[in-house]
Amino acid sequence: MSEGRTLHAPGIHGETVPMRDLAHQEVDFCVIGAGAGGGVVGAKLAEAGFEVVILEAGPHWDPTRDFVSDELGSYRLFWTDERISGGADPVELGSNNSGRGVGGSTVHYSMVKMRARREDFRRRSLDGSVAGAELSDWPLSFEELEPYYEEIEDALQVAGPAFYPWGRRRRRFPQREHELSAKAEVLVRGCTKLDIPVAPAPVSTLSAPHGDRPPCVYRGFCNYGCTTNAKSSILVTYIPRAIHAGAEVRPDAMAVRIEHDTRGRVHGVVYFRGEDRAPRLQRARAVIVAGYSVETPRLLLNSASPAFPDGLANSSGMVGRCFMIHSGHQVFARFAERVNPYKSPPGLALSEHFNRTMPGAGFIGGYTVEVVGPHVGDFATRVAGARGLWGDDLRRLMRDYTHYSGIGIVGEVLPQRRNFVSLHPTERDVHGLPVPRIEFGYHDNDRRLIEHAVARMKEIMAAAGGQDVWSADRTAHLLGTCRMGRDAATSVVDADCRSHDVPNLFICDGSVFPTATAANPSLTIEAIAARCADRIRDLARRGELS
Amino acid sequence: MSERGWDPQDWDEPTREVVRRRLEEVPPVRFFTPDEERMLEAVADRIMPQGDRDAGQRIPIVPWIDDKLFHDRRDGYRYEELPPQREAWRLGLAGIDQGARARFSRIFVELEAASQDVVLRDVQRGTISGEAWASVPAARFFSAVLVPSIVKTYYAHPMAWEEAGYHGPSSPRGHARKGLDGVDPWER
Repeated sequence: MSEGRTLHAPGIHGETVPMRDLAHQEVDFCVIGAGAGGGVVGAKLAEAGFEVVILEAGPHWDPTRDFVSDELGSYRLFWTDERISGGADPVELGSNNSGRGVGGSTVHYSMVKMRARREDFRRRSLDGSVAGAELSDWPLSFEELEPYYEEIEDALQVAGPAFYPWGRRRRRFPQREHELSAKAEVLVRGCTKLDIPVAPAPVSTLSAPHGDRPPCVYRGFCNYGCTTNAKSSILVTYIPRAIHAGAEVRPDAMAVRIEHDTRGRVHGVVYFRGEDRAPRLQRARAVIVAGYSVETPRLLLNSASPAFPDGLANSSGMVGRCFMIHSGHQVFARFAERVNPYKSPPGLALSEHFNRTMPGAGFIGGYTVEVVGPHVGDFATRVAGARGLWGDDLRRLMRDYTHYSGIGIVGEVLPQRRNFVSLHPTERDVHGLPVPRIEFGYHDNDRRLIEHAVARMKEIMAAAGGQDVWSADRTAHLLGTCRMGRDAATSVVDADCRSHDVPNLFICDGSVFPTATAANPSLTIEAIAARCADRIRDLARRGELS
Repeated sequence: MSERGWDPQDWDEPTREVVRRRLEEVPPVRFFTPDEERMLEAVADRIMPQGDRDAGQRIPIVPWIDDKLFHDRRDGYRYEELPPQREAWRLGLAGIDQGARARFSRIFVELEAASQDVVLRDVQRGTISGEAWASVPAARFFSAVLVPSIVKTYYAHPMAWEEAGYHGPSSPRGHARKGLDGVDPWER
């Protein structure tokens, strides 16, 4: 096998680093997507000695040149291809939750690194069945994932409090907690008044120097890309590891079809490179899809063939089904003091007090209360949307922008079959492929949870001394559409993220979540990916991969 | 500007370049027709009124919305009830005129500000008449397309930042006074 030329990839300090060119050979693994799932699994497999190519639809960012401290100037970081959002409660996509480029959404995530609760893995056993919902246990236990939570917390140098009041007893976070921002102090003040436990949030931005990366300067543009490299995104952590270990991270490479034979064994990925209209093929002995909850099922459905007319890995009919989000409702209030919501990372404090099924509350599942701190344009848009304000009324309120503080939930949403990602019947993208259509509507349980959460948040903000308290309907992360489970008839992958139907196809991203949890999902996605890499390594060593 | 404490010297080069272009390189209007442009100017002037500024001092809004449509830069999703963005804008603007005619027998730009507000409130509530609204639900167009586009553009301008008490980005130096009532030296 001939080795290609050497490529040059952007480093994280403005330099370039040499990278292998694996385009013309059959590699062990082709990973699709360079975000939380693909970045971790790709890096770990490369370090285990496998030949790995990671295809990424967007650019390979250079943090010193490509990120700007400006809201509108950052639109390139988001997935802006058309998607059709329908159903009773259509969701906001794009900048709300969908990344593009190496690092994926971790480039602009809020860095809150919560573990799922132990109970989250056994929701069906603990909460029973709920009409209209596909409540399921995970095929994984908390205990199986715990060492991987620790592995990721170490790799990303998560900063958190010495004592974290919820969940199982845990070891110390690798870095100490960050000094609270004003907006975090507001949440702490309100919760403390009401005797609601509250704590500094575990976040993946450095509070002390680590390697060649400096600590956070509290610049506050975390949701628009970190220019200082304090933020532990996948772009500045696992991607350099992957390249160093010999993987090729190929940007501007949009995967459109997974090639397979009639027996259902995959052998490569067809993709488009940049503006070039000619399709290319990356040959691979196994494929790992990590495109998140919309692009992953879209790719599997677009890979349909005569042998698999309903899409690849879809004998269960569950590819695209049980699409979930987190409800992300927010409450804002005006304070006498200047809060300056644009300073510091968005979520430096949180309360998991309501993150549990609360007897008598009228719903199952729970929510985490976190801090939000929108920049000025985002805040203005939110006020306009939530309160229907415009004209002089809006301009007047906005003069007090620096005095407004916000909190919001990560609320559990139940999995429902009727919420799904499918291929649009008529609309096509630039490659001529069907665009995704997303249908979403809340379950009654979700609505009761949201009502409870908004009422509690209003109490918290009032207790903190807030005036002019108002709420905004929001949604956060995407989850589900290729759920993991033990039963091949009702799930798409097993606990190892391996397709029930296709033995050399894996799915390794947020789409494998069978239930949503009420935790920011990145840490769990990364932990699943880290475990998936170990499982693949073990399977390969035993000759069980093919 | 620097008197007010924003000193672009403190911004990193990519940020400075983005803001410089916003101030100095306002694009020509290429997507909207002259009539549509005139009309959207009038609409934008009600959504974000700038009567307190001289004509040459106002924050440009329409050229930036036009630029997005001219290049057809999408948002990553579209509500199913809306057509693609270019069509939605054309239909929405036509519909506002249809509603203005139905209610006041005049086109939107010829109306007094108070009557313009009545028409816009009809759009906001989804109660406006006009055949264009059969293909573009008015309330959704107002809340998901029209208002956010105008508001986002307005508050991307340093003059709007100043008005909101925001002293602009601080990168790479960040913020030292982060607590309640925290004011960094350059924010005074």
